Amino acid sequence: MSWLKRNTPAGNHSVRGVNYSTSPLLASKTPPSRSRLLVMLVGVGFVALAGRALYVQVIESDFFQKKGEERYASTMQLPASRGRIVDRNGQILAISVNAPTISMNPQQFKAADDQKRALVSLLRMPLKEFDAKLSDGGAYTVLRRQIDDGVAQQIRALKVKGVTLEPGYIRRYPENEAAAHVVGFTDVEDRGQEGIELTFQRQLQGQGGSRGVVKDRLGRVVEELGEPVDPRDGRDVQLTIDSKVQALAYQRIRDAVQQHKAKAGSVVVLDAQSGEILALANYPSYLPGERRNLTGAQLRNRAITDVFEPGSTVKPFIASLVLEKGLVKPTTVMDTHPFKVGPLLVNDGSHGHDSMTMAQVIQKSSNVGTVKLAQKLENREMGEMLASLGFGAKPQIGFPGAATGRLRPWKTWKPVEKATMSYGYGLSASLLQIARAYTAIARDGELAPLTLIKGEAALPGVRVFEPETARTMRELLRGTVSADGTAPLAQPLGYSAGGKTGTAEKQEGRGYNSDKHRAWFTGIAPIDNPRVVVAVMVDEPSGVYFGGLVAAPVFKTVVEQTLRTMGVQPDLEIKAPVLTAKPALAPAMPVAVAQLNDASPIKARN
Amino acid sequence: MTRFSIVLLVALVLSGLYLVKTSYESRRLFVELERAKAEEAQLTADAKRLDAERRTEATHLKVERTARDKLAMRLASPEVTVYVSDSRASGASR
Repeated sequence: MSWLKRNTPAGNHSVRGVNYSTSPLLASKTPPSRSRLLVMLVGVGFVALAGRALYVQVIESDFFQKKGEERYASTMQLPASRGRIVDRNGQILAISVNAPTISMNPQQFKAADDQKRALVSLLRMPLKEFDAKLSDGGAYTVLRRQIDDGVAQQIRALKVKGVTLEPGYIRRYPENEAAAHVVGFTDVEDRGQEGIELTFQRQLQGQGGSRGVVKDRLGRVVEELGEPVDPRDGRDVQLTIDSKVQALAYQRIRDAVQQHKAKAGSVVVLDAQSGEILALANYPSYLPGERRNLTGAQLRNRAITDVFEPGSTVKPFIASLVLEKGLVKPTTVMDTHPFKVGPLLVNDGSHGHDSMTMAQVIQKSSNVGTVKLAQKLENREMGEMLASLGFGAKPQIGFPGAATGRLRPWKTWKPVEKATMSYGYGLSASLLQIARAYTAIARDGELAPLTLIKGEAALPGVRVFEPETARTMRELLRGTVSADGTAPLAQPLGYSAGGKTGTAEKQEGRGYNSDKHRAWFTGIAPIDNPRVVVAVMVDEPSGVYFGGLVAAPVFKTVVEQTLRTMGVQPDLEIKAPVLTAKPALAPAMPVAVAQLNDASPIKARN
Repeated sequence: MTRFSIVLLVALVLSGLYLVKTSYESRRLFVELERAKAEEAQLTADAKRLDAERRTEATHLKVERTARDKLAMRLASPEVTVYVSDSRASGASR
């Protein structure tokens, strides 16, 4: 107080109080209790402040820290994109592209007339509908979901107030209906629902990341907080499918189904050597991008999920086993008069003969001959052979809904069942299983493992027949596509082929419906050096219904075009001569190779 | 002592100003980086979208339909194809 007193020269005026001014008017006497009260109030104030500080800084510090951070920091979600599905050559079968959702806050919406018109036309929305949404009164309304990114950029460029873009993805399927059953599709939340999209959901799905940021008044990011968690994009899946073969197989089966006014059809193309699935096409199909009003019939991957009695396509396997056991030779003449097995009369209908060689039994697809062959086999031998060909076992291709088919254990077979089974009734398989079984003949007796995913470690093949047997059988199968065989229409132009037709009345309930048929053909080409196994099935063709007339022509065109696509040279004589490069050019070639690659052994030899 | 304090004060003020400048600069650069990143993401997305569009326009089904209907082309059959064997392949194995 000494400095106060210094300012008051007339300090000793007052006796009991403090002099605040020299002005006599203000020189009132103040009771000391007042100043004490004041000091006390200030003191209490300080205590309260200190208490509050203690509460904020020490006791509830975490809570306030968090609340504070919320005011300036925000977390941005970093979306991860779903992996692609590509074919064996890297062509895209499925890809995720940006497709933002356009939303609007009607309360903040502000746009000039021309801006509004431009917006409405970009949204492809009637003006009335837009106005209805605008007058809705709410604070948020979605204008359009999953809009094309190009259009979204134009909308962003309009800079209309109250209209915002939210990030989103849409799945695109460039091959559309041709590969729909294999690739499958995803739902709105980008989860796989069918096909490969479903099977490889975990691999395809990415993992979103996040980052803490500080945003300024305009919502721009101005600072990063802490380490961001990077999003991890989904991994790609490469299939063994060749999109070119797939497209042409689809096209051919579609044309055939439409031509024969059939219910459905499927084609399977396998690489005869590796067992890789080159094409797997079904008709009817669907557009994966437009899935409204889809029916189960369209969605079904028939080649894999539908089983039927393989009929005559089983005959070559029975014959192979008999050949392998040395019980008959292709030239052995057999009595093929109709005969009875238990209650069943085995006959070849109108195309029966009194006697046939074993080769003719295959060529003409004789039931009588085949049953006679099967009777030379033990139940166990035949049953184990069919099982090792993959009948009655689920194909290991990791595809949802792959059918197992049915093959009853050989111990329970009755003679009549064995007889019907030898020509393909009483057991069932999918088209894929039948095609796979034929790789055993195509690969010199070794059944190929099926693969749909490129680079997946293939299981070793299973030996079913000796190479010699398989080669002989291929020669016999060649007979079915000859002019005398059951399927001359299956003979491809320029390529040797062999196969087996199948025609059956469809099973309905406990019996067969003689009005509904299923026709199929399974074959190998080129027959001497097999490259592909093709299986074709047409369901309920109207009019002609024989496999040799309905399915065989599809086999022919698919083989011709697939082998041409694969660059396989024709092995049959065709009108134009096959040329080789002029001999004069040949010596120059090794030199050219040597120049390209210095380390080549050719140069070392030179 | 006083002179030293003045020097320190000046240094403090200068360093304060420098801090303001650098933090301003860092924010500016950060915003620029953000913009570049956003642009990169946009361009990547565009590339993906355009790639998908290109593929959709060039599927085998579409190409074949156009070739057949618009250009009146036919598929080459083996009878009109001349196969030339590649002597380089056979030469290398010799």
